[in-house]
Amino acid sequence: MNMIELLTELAVMPLIAFTIGLFMVLMMRKIAAKIQRRVGPPLLQPLYDIVKLYAKKTQNSHGLVHDIGIIMAVGGYIAAETMLPVPGMNGIAAKSGLLALAYVIMIPSLGLALGVGQCANPNGSIGIARALTAMLAYDVPFVIIIFGASWFYGSNNLIDIVAHQQAGGIATWGAAKMPVLAIAALFSMYAMLGKQPFEIYVAPAEIATGPMVEMGGKYLGGLFVMQCFQLFTASAIYVTMFLGGGENWPFFLVKLFAIIAIPMSMAFVFPRYRTEDVLAVVWRWPVLLGLAGVWLVMH
Amino acid sequence: MSTLKNIPVVSHEKPSGGTGNLLANVFDELMAFCRSRSLFMLHYCTGCGAIELPPAMTSRFDMERLGIQPMVTPRQADILLVTGYVSTKTLKRIILTYEQMNSPKYVIGICSCTVNGGMYWQSYATAKKLNDYLPVDMYIAGCMPRPEAVIHGLRELMENIKKGESDNWRDYYRRYDHYLGNQQRLFGENWQTPTDIIGEARHYDLMGPETLGPHTALLEQHQTPLKPFEMTLGLADLPVRKDEPR
Amino acid sequence: MTSLDLLLILSGLTTLAGFAFGNHRAYPWLAGIVLTAQIVILASMPLPMAAGFGFEMFGHPVGWQMDGFGRFFALITLGAALASVAYTGGEWGERYAAGGKNLRWLHGALAGNVLAMLLLLASGDLIAFFIGWELTSWAGFLLMAQGGERALRAAMRYVPYAMAGAMAVLGGLVLSLTWTGTLDLSQLVMLVPGLANWKLALLLALFGTGFAIKMGLLPVHLWQTPAYAEAPGAATAFLGAISSRMGLFGFGLLLVKLITLTRLADLSFIDGLFSARDLIEWVAALTIVLPTFTALKQNDARYLLAWHGIGQSGYMLLGLVIGDATGSAGGLLHVFNHATYQAALVLSVFAVMHRTGTADLNSMGGLVTRMPLTFLVMLLGIIGLAGLPPMNGFVSKWLIYRSLMIEGRPLLFLMTVLGTLGTILSVYKLIHNTFLGQLRAEHEQIREAPWSMLVPMLALVALAFVTGVAPGLALNYVNEAQAALGLPVMAHTLGGVESPRGSLDMLWIVGVLFAGFGIGALLFYGAGGRSKRIHQLDNYAGGHFLSADVRYQYSDHFYAGLMHRIGPLYRGSFTQMEAALASANDLLASLMQAWYRQAVPALTLLIATVLGLAWMIWR
Repeated sequence: MNMIELLTELAVMPLIAFTIGLFMVLMMRKIAAKIQRRVGPPLLQPLYDIVKLYAKKTQNSHGLVHDIGIIMAVGGYIAAETMLPVPGMNGIAAKSGLLALAYVIMIPSLGLALGVGQCANPNGSIGIARALTAMLAYDVPFVIIIFGASWFYGSNNLIDIVAHQQAGGIATWGAAKMPVLAIAALFSMYAMLGKQPFEIYVAPAEIATGPMVEMGGKYLGGLFVMQCFQLFTASAIYVTMFLGGGENWPFFLVKLFAIIAIPMSMAFVFPRYRTEDVLAVVWRWPVLLGLAGVWLVMH
Repeated sequence: MSTLKNIPVVSHEKPSGGTGNLLANVFDELMAFCRSRSLFMLHYCTGCGAIELPPAMTSRFDMERLGIQPMVTPRQADILLVTGYVSTKTLKRIILTYEQMNSPKYVIGICSCTVNGGMYWQSYATAKKLNDYLPVDMYIAGCMPRPEAVIHGLRELMENIKKGESDNWRDYYRRYDHYLGNQQRLFGENWQTPTDIIGEARHYDLMGPETLGPHTALLEQHQTPLKPFEMTLGLADLPVRKDEPR
Repeated sequence: MTSLDLLLILSGLTTLAGFAFGNHRAYPWLAGIVLTAQIVILASMPLPMAAGFGFEMFGHPVGWQMDGFGRFFALITLGAALASVAYTGGEWGERYAAGGKNLRWLHGALAGNVLAMLLLLASGDLIAFFIGWELTSWAGFLLMAQGGERALRAAMRYVPYAMAGAMAVLGGLVLSLTWTGTLDLSQLVMLVPGLANWKLALLLALFGTGFAIKMGLLPVHLWQTPAYAEAPGAATAFLGAISSRMGLFGFGLLLVKLITLTRLADLSFIDGLFSARDLIEWVAALTIVLPTFTALKQNDARYLLAWHGIGQSGYMLLGLVIGDATGSAGGLLHVFNHATYQAALVLSVFAVMHRTGTADLNSMGGLVTRMPLTFLVMLLGIIGLAGLPPMNGFVSKWLIYRSLMIEGRPLLFLMTVLGTLGTILSVYKLIHNTFLGQLRAEHEQIREAPWSMLVPMLALVALAFVTGVAPGLALNYVNEAQAALGLPVMAHTLGGVESPRGSLDMLWIVGVLFAGFGIGALLFYGAGGRSKRIHQLDNYAGGHFLSADVRYQYSDHFYAGLMHRIGPLYRGSFTQMEAALASANDLLASLMQAWYRQAVPALTLLIATVLGLAWMIWR
């Protein structure tokens, strides 16, 4: 592959991810609306929100780190998207792999945490403390699953993992070969998305949306962009590990949206857990399932 | 007593543009459209009008189809909904909240109480006319207005924003002295919020003929300075002023 | 005179100079130049390099020889010492001396530590090793004891541990002499693996105890935190960066070279189910997790970092004991990586202390506007400590994770990741409570740390960043160390590892990451409206008017929800165990004393005499 082709991929992959992410946000809000018997937002609502926020006339910055935090939150995901293979494009997936990707997507969260810290608002700090606790909760099953998948495919390389699954159709998909791990991964991804009942760190009525408390204008807009990326990334990692990756775009899109739709159809009927209850639930069921799945894979 | 028509809705100028640059005009139109279609509101539920908002938000009337959704903190919000009578004590918080919002921002007064004090007309502790203290973009009168009226009012506001007519937030910067004067008359001359409206007006070039005046001069006398902490190196090895504390 | 001689002589001279005129303004420059020269000599030294001197003891030759394994540690030692000397050299040292403390002793002890460590790392036989070991312990004690009363108490706590460790190592030394008849390392390497299983187990227990104490492995880690945290500034950085790695050096020699990992796996406790190798792996894994979560509860920045120092050493040992090319490279690389960012972190904490006078995480906040460069150092340092890209800590941890994946060790893998996650939580608390949040009124006039302190810190994080982007630079030395130990050597590229089953190319990852940040910045500054800086009191508080006299900051009990769940698991078992051991010791001692001094002094004397005579006759 020549350099120009690669650079084009690096530029195009985040754009695609963002666009898909926008529609995922729309789908999420539509699902919530349908569950609550509402009409829900129009087609381009997520885009209107982001444009409006970026175009705010006055914006409040609490200092350089506040700015840098948002830049890291968006930029980190832009980088992460180039490590996730999509149909026809591999980016730098071969040079990073599943394990590195799992750690690269912590960079945006770290950036956000820094930015929020600089805001000097205790609600934000509490939000970040809870978000990190939630991360400690869902990453434990998540890494068990990464281990299981990586052991099963004998590779850490996402391109290999996709090729391995596409070799024999649905029968060789990860979900067919490692159903227990696939279920655990869905659970863990649900917690990762931070929607009810796992939205401990947003908690609007309790800590005033936690990390977002001092975010307005392009700061909040950056977080909206980050949310688009986050939805796409979580879904794409799942599809790549368990649902055969992307053979072609239509199938890939169906899989991506379906994977987000599953937790979202459950989320909006729940209230919110307390922080320690998130730990209890996530450290119990997905971890047990994950360990059982790894045992099955290894024996 | 004022009627809705007589309450001045001041619009000094169109948003920049209209200079004949077609691209800039299209861009401004697009921004105005996005602004009108995405309104995050902060409901400052001071009085009974708040009870009419849940039906407006939920399945019966569903504000979200218009792109309107509730938000939690002033930084995130575009609309400040004041839903009922405003006591002197509450008004301080409303002003602080308003000043913390990012422009363009809109104030909606719901219920008669915000228009003229309503049934609290004779109360010593209630602010009568909200637009003496804040630039109100839209009043939705009634005691209380039905959700249909709320939705109608919000649609009017959207229409105004799209046409670029609803920019009273500029008025707050341009005539800050006037608003501050009314606030000082109510709260006393020590009145100060931790926000820096004059600084913002300077920073964003929003100064008007009445931004500064006798009242802002009074404010500057009493104000504890609120200069933001700039990131400083202040390295010890570099030459420092003698009076600088070590 | 060989170049190893030169190296040791230079080190000895620096030590003398330190004790003689360490308080002189020129000393830091001199020591800096000498240390730099030593690094150059060491790096360009052909290996293995024997020393030109040596002597005989009890008929055994005692000599020194540097190999790739020793050089790897020695380079880190010299680098850490250089950073520490530079840091102490300027304003920090002046204030230290002005506070009535003795700068000569500090510099002398620091240089003495370097000398002792070099002697240890270059030892060619077990006697030389033991000499180096003892010198290191006592030099370490000297350095720890410099920081005042609390430091002295912590250092005194270290003494019984160090003595017990030294006795254990001495016992191991005597046993290996008895069983193999030699103390020369090159001969021991051939003879020791042939010993019977129980002999190996005993050697492992004795040497292992000594090394574990130095390294701060569970359950003998308790001395380390206060001793390292209370030492004065640069000494803490030096101790935290490299001092306890001497234990790892010992483990490398013992486990990999003498006993060998295959023999270690043969020593099984429960037939074939749980071997000595598993035991060490699990001790290492627990050493990762438990101290890391103890660090999470600390409210003093120095103690927090010292606990993490213990936790990170678990990664090194674990990587080494897994023993494949990837894992051992990861373990060894982590020694270097940890030294760079840990030293930088400790120095940044002391820079903050220098300005604010406190390391209490509940009485700071918002310092980023006042000490931005120190903030940068701490930010890059914590990214390294947490093991996230683009810093070097990520690379070494990635190698360890990867080898655990290849070897199929899910539970150990889980433990390592759990350690990393715990670290992320705790370091965020560190940087948040120090630099972010609300600036206290009493800190409004604070200024950035002086250049003499900033330059070493910035150099250290720059090194940590460069070796994170291009880990190949450090992996060259790691490969030498692997070869010297007889481990499989990991093939590597400049950017990391090239493998069809999962490669890592940090050059690309970091490149793309920074390109992403660039696009993020373009979006932020280009597409977004202008922003205006606002005062920290212009803040959301539900409509409340904030004022400077009321704190609006969240710092204490930072992870309340987490502690609600895992809080009951902190039982202080190790502290109780230490206390129990101490009182058992006391009891035994007073019983003995009661016996031979009060109850039957004459009989005791008689028994001792008879036994002594019998031994002499039997000889």
